[in-house]
Amino acid sequence: MRVSMNAHLVFDRSVSFKEKALQIFEFQKEHNSVYGKFCKALGVSKVKEVHEIPLLPIQAFKDSELRISNIQHPTSTLFFESSGTTGMNRSRHYIADPELYKTSILKGMQQFYDLDDFVVLAYTPGYNSNPHSSLVWMLNVLIEQDKTGLSRFLELGKSLGSEILDDISSKGKRVMLFGAAFGLLDLIDLRKVELPKNSVIMETGGMKTHRREMSKAQLHHTLAEGFNLPKGNVHSEYGMTELLSQAYSFGSEWFHPVPWMKISIRNPENPMVEMPYREEGLIGVIDLANLHSCSFILTGDKGIQNEKGQFQVLGRWNPQNLRGCNFLIDQD
Amino acid sequence: MKDITQHTIKVAEAVRKWLQPDNSELKKAIEQTVDERLFSFEDIKFQIRALKENIDSGQIEEWAERAGLGKNKHSVGEKVLCLHAGNLPLVGFQDALGTILSGADYFGKLSRKDPYLLITFLEMLKASGIETEIKYSTDLKDFKNLNADKLLFAGSSESVPAVKNELKRLGSISPETELVIRTAKFSMAYITNEEPEVITDLVEAIFRYGGQGCRSVAAVVSPIRFNNLKCHFQDYIESFWLKNPQHKKPPEALAYQFAYNKAIDRPQAWLDDFLIQESEEFPELDFTLHWIQGDEEKLKELKEKFGSAIQTIYTAGEKIDGIETEFLSQAQRPPLWWEPDGVGLFE
Repeated sequence: MRVSMNAHLVFDRSVSFKEKALQIFEFQKEHNSVYGKFCKALGVSKVKEVHEIPLLPIQAFKDSELRISNIQHPTSTLFFESSGTTGMNRSRHYIADPELYKTSILKGMQQFYDLDDFVVLAYTPGYNSNPHSSLVWMLNVLIEQDKTGLSRFLELGKSLGSEILDDISSKGKRVMLFGAAFGLLDLIDLRKVELPKNSVIMETGGMKTHRREMSKAQLHHTLAEGFNLPKGNVHSEYGMTELLSQAYSFGSEWFHPVPWMKISIRNPENPMVEMPYREEGLIGVIDLANLHSCSFILTGDKGIQNEKGQFQVLGRWNPQNLRGCNFLIDQD
Repeated sequence: MKDITQHTIKVAEAVRKWLQPDNSELKKAIEQTVDERLFSFEDIKFQIRALKENIDSGQIEEWAERAGLGKNKHSVGEKVLCLHAGNLPLVGFQDALGTILSGADYFGKLSRKDPYLLITFLEMLKASGIETEIKYSTDLKDFKNLNADKLLFAGSSESVPAVKNELKRLGSISPETELVIRTAKFSMAYITNEEPEVITDLVEAIFRYGGQGCRSVAAVVSPIRFNNLKCHFQDYIESFWLKNPQHKKPPEALAYQFAYNKAIDRPQAWLDDFLIQESEEFPELDFTLHWIQGDEEKLKELKEKFGSAIQTIYTAGEKIDGIETEFLSQAQRPPLWWEPDGVGLFE
């Protein structure tokens, strides 16, 4: 039997998050064999509250084919893969419904920005050379929706010319410059660029490279200085191959999730339990846009959350801290 | 200090006295540790017996000799601060003994998780009339303004900066302090046969102290598939647990890992308080053994992958080209001079 679930449910404002999450939980438990086995092994069959829904460790995207079986419609062959070196086991996210991802991207951005005001410039590898990058796919969607035709992927290794900035200004538009942390720093290294004061830098992560390691605050300070913008115009996006929704921060370290996404901070000793506000733990994400894969994800990121549902990413959870003889001031 | 050789003799005598069965102070400390459920009686007994065997066979004297301690090589006058972890009973014994044996003044931050046992040893040494200073406390603040010459402790990439900052803030260390920081996390074993002796040693190497400690085996590489050994192996484990009930219980995260393994159809064995899984990943969870089917090449690949997190690789005697190994039977009974992270105490 072929199964389906209406993708409109994900964005339907007339249905509460709780109701949508519980429906999608039942659907995925039933039709995603990996998630179904996970819930069964944990002894979870029925849940009444969102926090009772088990979050599947994110490495399931590496270790298994995580998708709804016998899906009725649509039948896309699109998939995204995490970046990595040759021979490395990569995460793979099968996208049954590219339209759903597209809607999530656009509606997500529109929660926080008036896209009609912006021209998107992406200092990232282009779409043709990276068809399996979810970020590049997302940028392509943002570029294609811009009716002015000024949005584009920028050529890597080439500084940002003043002509393009003049064109954007002359159309009364603002710049939204996307790039990974190291890419944006490279762009500054090429030539100091003075962006119009109303521009937004959208940093998409990738803090650590073989040659650079700096704190988020340092990075944002350097980017603001390098592009001659107020620090409040340096924003961040929290997204990953395994998620079809994003969260954004606006000049602070707190990320705001989109309405169909809910963050919780889980106790690493027992991921079924939520940590109190402002206490560190593993970042758990419920992303309803992951309708055809798995919406209930336990990431490998360390974070905290505040009472408003915003969260901070404090880096990767380092498993090497768990084992062995380890002197800890507060415990020993 | 007049004579380091005489000092070694005095230290060895005091340690032997400490390990006498009629040492009522040690007995009391053991009882208190067990009563407060810090460690199991079986694990403490095992540790003390292993130390006694080493010391009775003259290892203190041999350690001093191997290290070349003497008139021209000693640490007399140096202040050494040891931060002892508390994950196994008497885990700080080697650092404390080595420091004192070298003639250095010992300052020990004892773990609140193992606060009684080592004290009886340190008090016995103090009473022996040796000339080195011995001070200990469970409170780091008691080492304020110590300005130690050397610092010894085990940590991780995340805990080390916090510990160093706190010690600098207290003035316990200075920029000139020599830092000996161990970061290895676990050991591996390469097993090529199912001989009862080998499996018995393997079970001890894995399950002693509930798998805690960097000398415990957390990953096994073997040409034998775990599923082929499973039932047989479980008999040995049950027999071990009958004599050595596991003291600490695993966190709920272990059940989560079990569920995850089920979800992705990863072969595993759930032993209530321990999980064995076929996985080449970094063994991050306590109470977990990773079993990897593979040959010497696979062992080398994983050694490269896990890097400095590996403390020791054990075999049942086989030599492996390009890899330094130790005997599996010695996993939980290392000689006094074993070098954590490959760094000797007297270097």
